Amino acid sequence: MSTAIASNSPSKWVVLPHYAFSAVSFLGLCLLLLLSTDAFGGHYFHPKLLTLTHVAVLGWATMVIFGALYQLLPVVLEGRLYSEKLALCTFAFLGTGTILLAYSFWFFKVGLPMHLAACCLFLSFLLFNLNLIQTARKAPKWTIEADFIVTSAVWLLLTGFIGLLMSVNLSRPFLPQDHVHYLQLHAHIGMAGWFLLLIIGVGAKLIPMFLLAHVEGTKQLTWSYNLINAGLGLFIIDHLFLHTPLLPLYALLVGGGVGAFLLFLWEAKKTRQRADLDLGMQQTFVALGLLVLPLLLALVVGSGVALPMPLLSSLYLVYGLTVFLGFITALILGQTFKTLPFIVWMHAYEDLVGRYKTPLPKDLYNHSLLRWQNISYLLGFVVLVTGVLLREPQLILAGAIALTLAAVLFTANVFHLLLHKVHELKPFPYGNARP
Amino acid sequence: METPAPEVRQQVLETLKYIIDPEVGLNIVDLGLVYSVQLTQERLYIELTLTTRGCPMGATITTATQQILQKRFPRYDVQVEVVWGPMWSPEMITEEGRRQLEQI
Repeated sequence: MSTAIASNSPSKWVVLPHYAFSAVSFLGLCLLLLLSTDAFGGHYFHPKLLTLTHVAVLGWATMVIFGALYQLLPVVLEGRLYSEKLALCTFAFLGTGTILLAYSFWFFKVGLPMHLAACCLFLSFLLFNLNLIQTARKAPKWTIEADFIVTSAVWLLLTGFIGLLMSVNLSRPFLPQDHVHYLQLHAHIGMAGWFLLLIIGVGAKLIPMFLLAHVEGTKQLTWSYNLINAGLGLFIIDHLFLHTPLLPLYALLVGGGVGAFLLFLWEAKKTRQRADLDLGMQQTFVALGLLVLPLLLALVVGSGVALPMPLLSSLYLVYGLTVFLGFITALILGQTFKTLPFIVWMHAYEDLVGRYKTPLPKDLYNHSLLRWQNISYLLGFVVLVTGVLLREPQLILAGAIALTLAAVLFTANVFHLLLHKVHELKPFPYGNARP
Repeated sequence: METPAPEVRQQVLETLKYIIDPEVGLNIVDLGLVYSVQLTQERLYIELTLTTRGCPMGATITTATQQILQKRFPRYDVQVEVVWGPMWSPEMITEEGRRQLEQI
């Protein structure tokens, strides 16, 4: 007999559709980017740019984060996910909301389609919060990673609520200040509150695990959590009520929080037992490097330095690009090949462990495709950002083409994994042989 | 003829090397997860740990340990227990494990 250790992992039908939807969204995002090179010449409040941004943050990033979290929450919170049915409803609302919102922004239908989209998305975030909080309530031990994850979900709900109000405001204006004012609030709560906190919370658990590292204490993470929330909270109060010129201070607080997280990772890197970084981890560290760009840009844009209007417009666009197509996209491109192969492997081979010679998760995807995906992505991103800064449509198009190539390679590899079939395996003899 | 206990213990460890942690790519013995192997007349008792609490491989590793040992040593009643003291850390990887990690 053995002591009962029940598997807390959810069904693959809860997790894997998120990865599939997300990969298709990334491909769709890059194809839309190819059709939007004319949109980068002016203000960021442009139908095509709004479409691109929302496909990136919802269909691409939030979708895969939800899927990965359903797998990871049982590890962080040491218990089963509260409800798999709720997770599937969340998926349906998020998917429907994303498609409807993309349609609404692209054709700028600010009436019913956009209202429906915003309602679907808000409902999705509400159900996600319900599932997460109910799961967290049963956690036998509370950790700083859980703090990051739960708080980020609450910020996501607030982001969705502001988005819902703005969707109504577009067709029936009722908010006291202009629309862009709330757009800035909506965007920053989403970026720092949802994505940044969530990524730090998950990264603090996964990155040391993947590096086989052991960090004593969580002091840096506590600082990171407090600084980011303080910076964001003060920014919201200031933006809504005070309107002081202290924006760079709030950016510095958030930057300090990121710095504390990077210190934590530095400690992890020093104690790692794995000398070589695989392609997934290399891409993850590229993403962490790219995180510095939006923080610097936030300081420049928020400082109120007198810059020519065209340059300021370009900087705003680059700021958004460095967050969504830079840091977040780079991270997902890398971490997908750390999480998805393991999830696919577990569902295919867990019952065969110790009885048959099974492949390892790293054997389930094409490393050559991944290498070219990473190269193509980085090239595309640098060329695109340069094109936007210089307002050069040909460069923007070239960047979009390279990113589309990266998306094709990524999607091919993801579906190769999702459609993996178990082949005939050799049983172990259990002799004196070494495995 | 009965197999002496130290030899059985060695055979147990060799058998458990067939169980590989899929993420790390190392077997659970060289990864340092097997804390103790105790043997009595009728009972084979294994204490092992996991790399982290809530590890998604927990159920797979304990079940595989139970099944593989029961098949290899049918005359013993195999008992597997997951323990958390001391907590696993990467320093527990064996020299052989470190050597293998460098090659992965």
